[in-house]
Amino acid sequence: MEAPTTRRMRRGREISAAYLLLSPTVLLLLTVLAYPIGWEVWTSFTSLSPLQDGATAFVGLQNYRQQLGTLEFWWAALVTVGYAVVTSVAKVALGLGFAVLLARPFRGRALAFLVIFLPWAYPSGVSVIGYYWMLNPPISTAYAVSLGHLKYSVDSALGGGAWAFISVILFNIWRGSSFIGVLLLAGINAIPRELFEYALLESKSAWRRFRLVTVPLLKPFLALAVFLSLTSAFGDLANVWKLTGGRIVFPVIGTHAYWLAIKQGQFGPASALSLLLVPFLFGVLLVLFRFFDPAERKAT
Amino acid sequence: MNPRPWWVKVGHRSLILLTAVYCLSPIYFMLVQSLKTPQEDLFGNPFIVVHPTLENFEELFERKGEVRGFVGDALRRSYPFLDWLANTLIVFAGSVAVTLGASVAAAYALGGLRPPGFRWWRRAIFATYVIPQTILFVPLYQVVHALGLDDNLLALLLIYPTMALPFCIWILSAYFQQLPREIEEAALIEGASRTTAFFRIILPMSRPVLVAAGIFALGTVASDFMIASVFLLTPHNQTVAGGLGTMDVALDELVVVAGINLLAIPVVAISAVFARGYVRGLTAAMVEGA
Repeated sequence: MEAPTTRRMRRGREISAAYLLLSPTVLLLLTVLAYPIGWEVWTSFTSLSPLQDGATAFVGLQNYRQQLGTLEFWWAALVTVGYAVVTSVAKVALGLGFAVLLARPFRGRALAFLVIFLPWAYPSGVSVIGYYWMLNPPISTAYAVSLGHLKYSVDSALGGGAWAFISVILFNIWRGSSFIGVLLLAGINAIPRELFEYALLESKSAWRRFRLVTVPLLKPFLALAVFLSLTSAFGDLANVWKLTGGRIVFPVIGTHAYWLAIKQGQFGPASALSLLLVPFLFGVLLVLFRFFDPAERKAT
Repeated sequence: MNPRPWWVKVGHRSLILLTAVYCLSPIYFMLVQSLKTPQEDLFGNPFIVVHPTLENFEELFERKGEVRGFVGDALRRSYPFLDWLANTLIVFAGSVAVTLGASVAAAYALGGLRPPGFRWWRRAIFATYVIPQTILFVPLYQVVHALGLDDNLLALLLIYPTMALPFCIWILSAYFQQLPREIEEAALIEGASRTTAFFRIILPMSRPVLVAAGIFALGTVASDFMIASVFLLTPHNQTVAGGLGTMDVALDELVVVAGINLLAIPVVAISAVFARGYVRGLTAAMVEGA
């Protein structure tokens, strides 16, 4: 046994070592995120625009009020939330399906796993171009005409740009369900095998076993999956932009803000706009922390 | 396990098959298109290739000087594809390395050394995911410019890790946290320093979780084309994703599809090799006492 003072000294050294080890991460996050987010918050209270003459004025909450007063904002918010909810539900459902399909050993399981893993592993910075080729094909392709007809009929039923937006959704689901499937499979692997065997003795209904054993035990993984899925949808600007070629009829908050900032030079309103949904997402995260970072962990 | 009735097996098989079609068809589709001649692209069947050719891939590697004659020169653009590929390799490897280095250090600090409030540190780092990237690149450009890194690959080595760090720190620190303290204590009693104990014992033990973090970082980095195209300006400085998406390549050309496949091959190969480790690592990270 050590003397209490050396113990305390050692603890003190440990704590300083901890801060030292944290410093690269903190430094990276500060450079890449802290200043930009500070700039964005500040700008959201000003009239900053490269197009205006004269000095930038502090306008208080005016940008927020103005955004909340426009129809475009509510439309974009609605589309964003719809996009996030639809893709998240589909991704979790598909991912859960993939994970359950692979839960028990069978011949060719390793291969089947690789198949599920591929959509996420395939670099999406370029697979999004593949989706563009597949669903909004260039005129030079043999299938351009038939897909063009499909696109035209969808667009005329749901409004121009609908097909492009559907392809964004399909792409997001394709890639995301792969990630969630693998994550949930990792979760299922973590459940002790005996638990399934007990459950088998308790109930003959596979559905009951799934609902009462598998799903509750997967909760932390599901919560993590839902959160990552929501942020990817809320933050999505690039994929929407690319798949719709910037001809945006269904704007999400991201593309709308991008449009305001880059095409119209209204940095103030654009900043306000992109910050408006952050509290909402933050609230969701705080709720989900209860599932994937429960307080009991402290005891270990 | 009791044997399953035949119809369950058949159902399971067909669902697996359906899954495979769903997951692979876009990838298959891109591969098929990239092997086509322009004629076949225009008149052929979209799902198969009858006369496969590598000319689209060859075109990617053609340098401007090699195309003879005025007309050829005017008609054909050149793509510094080899440069792009090299840049992409540097950026991917560098970002994954930076991410792993920073996240292992931070995760050990949070999960192993546990300074006061370590759970809130971890939550705060994870919460950076709520920050929308949307127009963040406007002020980010100021930062990059102030550091003198515009049009420099180093800018991406600064930005990409922050996209993967929170998740990597999360799983690594959860893993370190649940490691029995006795393991380390034993090494310390044997006279090893904390550093030696970490590098000799803890780090080798955490291999699966490190693999999981690395693969996650690679997948995250490979998903971007926006940041690459904003911060890398001159053609020969681009990455593949940024270059194909923005530079003087039109998205509608067959070369683009070929380029997609060329970038995908190494990334997919690496992921496939580590695929099993990835799942094992995720499992180990999330389960107490694993």
